[in-house]
Amino acid sequence: MTLPVPTRAARLLLVTCAAVLMPLAASAQPARAQIPPDISGEWTLANNEYDTTAQPPLGDYTGIAFNAAGVMRSETTAESIFGTPEYQCRPHSSPHQWRGLGGARILKEQDPLTREVRTYHIQFMRSLDRPVYMDGRPHPPAWAPHTWTGFSTGEWVGNTLKITTTHLKDGFLHRGGPQTSDMYTMTEFLTRHGDILTIVTVIDDPIYLDEPYIDSTTYTYDPSSSVAFETCNGTAFAENGGSDRHHVPHFLPGSNTADLNEWLKKDDWVPPAVARGGVKTLYPEYRGVVAGTTNAAALAVPASKSDVDYRKKIADQSPRDGQVHVMPVQGNVYLLIADGTNITASFGADGVLVVNTGTAAMAPKLLAAIKQLSVAVESQPRPKECFGLNCPGAWGWSSPFIDAVIASPAPPHPIRYIINTSAAPEHVGGNETIAAAGFFPRVAGGFGTAVDNIGRGAAIVAHENVAAAMSAAKAPAAAQPTDSFFDEFDKLPEYVNGEPILMYAAPNANTDGDSFVFFRHSEVIAAGNLFSTVSYPAIDVTKGGTIQGVIDGLNKILDLAVAEYRGQGGTMIVPGRGRLSDTADVASYRNMLTIVRDRVQDLVKKGQTLAQVRAARPTFDFDGRYGSDPMATDKFIEAVYRTVQKPDSVQEKKQ
Amino acid sequence: MMRRVSAVLIVAVGLLVGGLGAHHSYAATYNSNKDVKLQGKLVQFVYRNPHTFVHIQAPDESGTMQRWAVEWSGTSQLERGGITRDTLKIGDSVVITIHPSRVAGDYRGLMVNLVRPSDGFTWGAAPGQAVD
Repeated sequence: MTLPVPTRAARLLLVTCAAVLMPLAASAQPARAQIPPDISGEWTLANNEYDTTAQPPLGDYTGIAFNAAGVMRSETTAESIFGTPEYQCRPHSSPHQWRGLGGARILKEQDPLTREVRTYHIQFMRSLDRPVYMDGRPHPPAWAPHTWTGFSTGEWVGNTLKITTTHLKDGFLHRGGPQTSDMYTMTEFLTRHGDILTIVTVIDDPIYLDEPYIDSTTYTYDPSSSVAFETCNGTAFAENGGSDRHHVPHFLPGSNTADLNEWLKKDDWVPPAVARGGVKTLYPEYRGVVAGTTNAAALAVPASKSDVDYRKKIADQSPRDGQVHVMPVQGNVYLLIADGTNITASFGADGVLVVNTGTAAMAPKLLAAIKQLSVAVESQPRPKECFGLNCPGAWGWSSPFIDAVIASPAPPHPIRYIINTSAAPEHVGGNETIAAAGFFPRVAGGFGTAVDNIGRGAAIVAHENVAAAMSAAKAPAAAQPTDSFFDEFDKLPEYVNGEPILMYAAPNANTDGDSFVFFRHSEVIAAGNLFSTVSYPAIDVTKGGTIQGVIDGLNKILDLAVAEYRGQGGTMIVPGRGRLSDTADVASYRNMLTIVRDRVQDLVKKGQTLAQVRAARPTFDFDGRYGSDPMATDKFIEAVYRTVQKPDSVQEKKQ
Repeated sequence: MMRRVSAVLIVAVGLLVGGLGAHHSYAATYNSNKDVKLQGKLVQFVYRNPHTFVHIQAPDESGTMQRWAVEWSGTSQLERGGITRDTLKIGDSVVITIHPSRVAGDYRGLMVNLVRPSDGFTWGAAPGQAVD
């Protein structure tokens, strides 16, 4: 149909008007999501920040709002801690990554259907691949592992990508000493202006900072560059020399003042009081202190302390909520947290093996969780992925396809073994209930024949000092170990769920009966109370416990465990209480205990009494992290004091 | 073109410094005001990144034999200076001057110079032969 000319003209006018007016109309509509800028590509570090290329000296904390614990932690940390076997391959700590050398690469992972960016991946020369999830997933629970790069989620705020990162390991703000705890949160703001990418990083560490640490870094887009790559190869030898692979370098408090102040000889324009940072030094008013017209005590600064409740954050790693929380670890192994106590469990074709049984009060809930998990792991109906006669599982005159639809899965296997890593009530309290629900086939001449008189429940295995302690405490017979070991290590006589199970004794650790359990194929170690991410160890001197025994036990764990890549992952370690961990976390805890031991040892050598040692606060910089219970901290210090090696000239004084 | 040359330079400098740059701070790790001379036998030559290490058995100040870990440059810098994984051999008698670690109990140092008297091989005296 041919339109009359006037009508065509009218239509052209209409279309023209629409073209002009539509944007105006659109602007009156609710704003549509802005298409964010593309930040993917190769980026080079445009500015040369001091802490990137230079060699930051010991003791320069200018611009850092350290509290007293942060200063102490940093002043006593030796840079050669990098040379210990567990840390020599670690990447730069996250607060320093954008300032590290070698450029940055940002990749985007897109949904194949919608082409939305699901995940950004950020890579540096000395880093792991760091995913930033854009799909709205929540952050993991507090008992999930911490990593060097943490767990990052992102959202666009206008043209700025805001990244929130939690679950970070302890590390440093920049090279040369200033430390972070593992309780910090990192928030980054990435804004692209043409070929310039500005990154503002906010480190909120409620343990060591009175105010967040903020820095900015600028990168330039450069598709012709390629992020440098650094491998960490060779054997896991210690870089600090000597013959002690467990050597933990550190400075005793007050022993390295000259080293800490050495840089001030060159940079003599920096007032010494400012050198160690502190929140007040960050504000212009502090110039009055430098000029001597006012004093620091009189100076008020805006209240901008972290609003993170770190005590809750730590406690949440070991939730005392009367519930059982479940987390898969790896291989056959699961972590069950029963009202704050960690139980490690293996599920498989042979049945269930649990390491520790929680308290008696939690035993029914724990048993219910074990049964539920057994069904989920072993007996869940699953669609068959294979069709035809050659499929595994097809037997005789049957169709695997029909089996998949109608078959009722075999029931899960029973609980076969309980292993107790100590006689602590939270480790053996559920023995009776859990063992009674289990079944271990006992036949004459076989493993466990000596214990027929206590029934046919699950076998209970522990160090013989645990058995002796439970016997002395008149624990119910059905709760006591059916089998015990006495040597430095022992093993179950045959595979359980396809893997060897080894028990290692940790003599004179928290008590004289501690041990830990190694799942050798799943690569999981149940550390028992040798290791906690929420508290100092509860060393019971009256039961043979010593600080050195705990440290030796942790060192044994570190000898057996292997990190997967860059000092992270690999062998996973389940602490007695707290979050699922890896070698670096155990190393951090071992380092803390070694440092405290050495501090107390030094005070003892100087002839100080227990009261004087307590007053010296040898755990001060770790108390925010592990000392939520002051009475437990006091007991810990006392246990260290009573069990460090004393010179002959020092006789223990009655307090 | 200029931009591309600049980019290449940035990358080259980045890699160069990356080869040299420590993941830790040398200034914080070692006491550069102090030199310690070690004389002993090479027991391990760990030619690797980020840092090469020379291990020697040599006495400490008290005369007790110790295993010393002497930190050297990364492989790219050493290669440019003609040092390969075959340059040093286990059993070589060497005299090494180090900046020692700041920490008591570390038997560790930063390479200042190395002399192998058997053939006169030296490192540390010529320009550019420094771990920085």
